[in-house]
Amino acid sequence: MARMKFLCDADRCIECNACVTACKNENDVPWGINRRRVVTINDGKPGERSVSMACMHCTDAPCAAVCPVDCFYTTDDAVVLHSKELCIGCGYCFYACPFGAPQYPKTANFGSRGKMDKCTYCAGGPEADNTKAEYVAYGANRLAEGKLPLCAEMCSTKSLLAGDGEIIAQIYKERVAKRGYGSGAWGWKTAYKEDIAT
Amino acid sequence: MAKSKTDTTLDRRGFLKGIGTGAAGAATVAAGVTTTSPALAAESTTDKKKARYRESAHVKKFYATNRYL
Repeated sequence: MARMKFLCDADRCIECNACVTACKNENDVPWGINRRRVVTINDGKPGERSVSMACMHCTDAPCAAVCPVDCFYTTDDAVVLHSKELCIGCGYCFYACPFGAPQYPKTANFGSRGKMDKCTYCAGGPEADNTKAEYVAYGANRLAEGKLPLCAEMCSTKSLLAGDGEIIAQIYKERVAKRGYGSGAWGWKTAYKEDIAT
Repeated sequence: MAKSKTDTTLDRRGFLKGIGTGAAGAATVAAGVTTTSPALAAESTTDKKKARYRESAHVKKFYATNRYL
C-alpha cells in the first residue's frame, strides 16, 4: 500500500511561496490561515536554506495522540485527516505538533479559536468525496480525482515532492547521485546527530 | 377606555410573541440546515479511511517530470 509523503528538496527551493499560494487558492483557505509555509534558515547569509513546511502526515501523529475528542484518523494512504464536526478547537494539537501545522481561524474577539484547520494532503475530509460540504469544510479532494497535492504539482523548481513515499524517495536519491551532494534529507544531521559524508 | 387600552397592550404582546416564535422557528430551520447537510454527506468509518491514491496518468506524469535532472 502506497504511503503518501511530502519531501522538500532544500537544495532546489527558491522561497517563491508558490506552494503557499497554490494551497490557499485550491482549498479556499480563509484569511489568517496558512496550511503551508516556507521557512528560511540563515536568511541572506551564505548557506541559506528554504524548506516548504506543512502537515507531514506523521505515521504516529502526536496531534492524534493528544486530541481529547479523538477527531483525527489516518487513511489507508497514511494521510492524517480530522473531522471538524468533532473538533472543539482546544488547541492541544497545535502544542503537540512539531511542525506547527494546526491552524485556527479567528472567529471572535478575546482570542477564542474556531475549528482546527490543517493540510489535508488535498484529500478532503470525512464528508463524501468532492461534495460541496467537503469542499467548504476541508477544501479540494484531489487525491480522489487521481491527482496529487497542488503545492507539489505547482512547484516550479520541482523542489517539493509529493506522492508515494517509495517513489519520491527514489527520485530524490537519483538527484543526489547526479548532484554528488546533499545525501539525506535536509535537517537530518541536526535531528539525529549523525555524521553524513556529503 | 380602560378596556381598549388593555386590548392594545395584549395586541402588542401578541405581536411580539409572534415575532419571537417566528425568529425561533427560523433559527431552528437554520440550525437544522447547518447540522444536517454535512451529516447527510458524511462517509462511514471504513469509507473515509479507504485509499484514494492511484497511479493515474496524471500522477505518472508528475513523477516523470520530477525525474528530469
